[in-house]
Amino acid sequence: MIGGLVQILFFQGLGELLSKLVIPLIPGPVIGLVLMLVYLSVRKTIPEGVDTVATTLVQHLGLLFVPAAVGVVMFLPQLRANALAVVTALVVSVALTVAVPALVLRMMAREKPNADGAD
Amino acid sequence: MQTVQTEIAEIWVYLSGSPLLALFLTLAAYHVGVTIYERMGRNPVYNPVAIAVVIVAVAISVVGMPYPKYFEGAQFVHFLLGTATVALAIPIYRGFAGLGGRVVPLLVALLCGGATSIISSVAIASLLGADGQIIGGMYAKSVTAPIGMGIAERLNVSPTLTAVFAVCTGILGAILGRFVLDAIGSKAWWQRGFALGIAAHGIGTSRAFSVNKEAGTYASLGMGLNGVVGAVLIPLGVKAALGT
Repeated sequence: MIGGLVQILFFQGLGELLSKLVIPLIPGPVIGLVLMLVYLSVRKTIPEGVDTVATTLVQHLGLLFVPAAVGVVMFLPQLRANALAVVTALVVSVALTVAVPALVLRMMAREKPNADGAD
Repeated sequence: MQTVQTEIAEIWVYLSGSPLLALFLTLAAYHVGVTIYERMGRNPVYNPVAIAVVIVAVAISVVGMPYPKYFEGAQFVHFLLGTATVALAIPIYRGFAGLGGRVVPLLVALLCGGATSIISSVAIASLLGADGQIIGGMYAKSVTAPIGMGIAERLNVSPTLTAVFAVCTGILGAILGRFVLDAIGSKAWWQRGFALGIAAHGIGTSRAFSVNKEAGTYASLGMGLNGVVGAVLIPLGVKAALGT
């Protein structure tokens, strides 16, 4: 378990380093994620410790952004002033964002005539 | 009597100065949130993060703790966001395993979905006269919050608004997703799941898992890929659009 945490922190550190030195546009942890993905693809299995730690972290992902989200208290007057725009934008946008990829996938999956049945 | 009061005051000063109070409050509030969510049959309306945020916000305003002071203590939880982002590699890697020959359609769908999310939200918010800070919070709202906040920092827009809009988007997506997908006649589980993961990240993904395992796996893949691709393309796209 600790070994898994060490490996994850190592990739996070490596990502931060590359973000600082080479690609400042991309957040360090995202670079760390990609490096971890490469590492797993080369290794072809997930180390047990990494799996345990990662599963726990991902399961409670929501907890980790509570501190930042509580900052909403500082934005309350501004949100109230923009309430209609915010609510409309969020509701309509999420409906469209669900619909568009689903439609694209359905159209593209249909283009390939019955790939499953051909085998 | 007076000594007791001074003692209590001193203990309070000590506690509110250490990270313990903020940490306890954060974890306890989240625990209450999760408990309510479980009791309500994992109904997305009772989102544990939203419940936790409300509890913490009310608690710190009752005890008169300014937000920056709360955050100083809670930053130990906040720090783990980066670590959790790296950990997202594991569900993505698992999702890749069962892909088959679907890579191209999935990537096309991902790009279309990501673009739809930004363009529609920014356009609607601008048309309805929202201010620049609010619009900035919309950029990464469909990206999973840990990555979305990183993107927001890179773009000098508010990570807090991004996180708040992301949570709202996740809840809305988890509630409305099913009706939208039924309305457009989407039937295949992998397609429904992937769309939900792109639009409503982690909250949509746990919703998808509770309906169908294949939908859940594809949702977590959609969420992960949207995070990685979004981290690269959103800053580039926004900078190009703003001409900076």
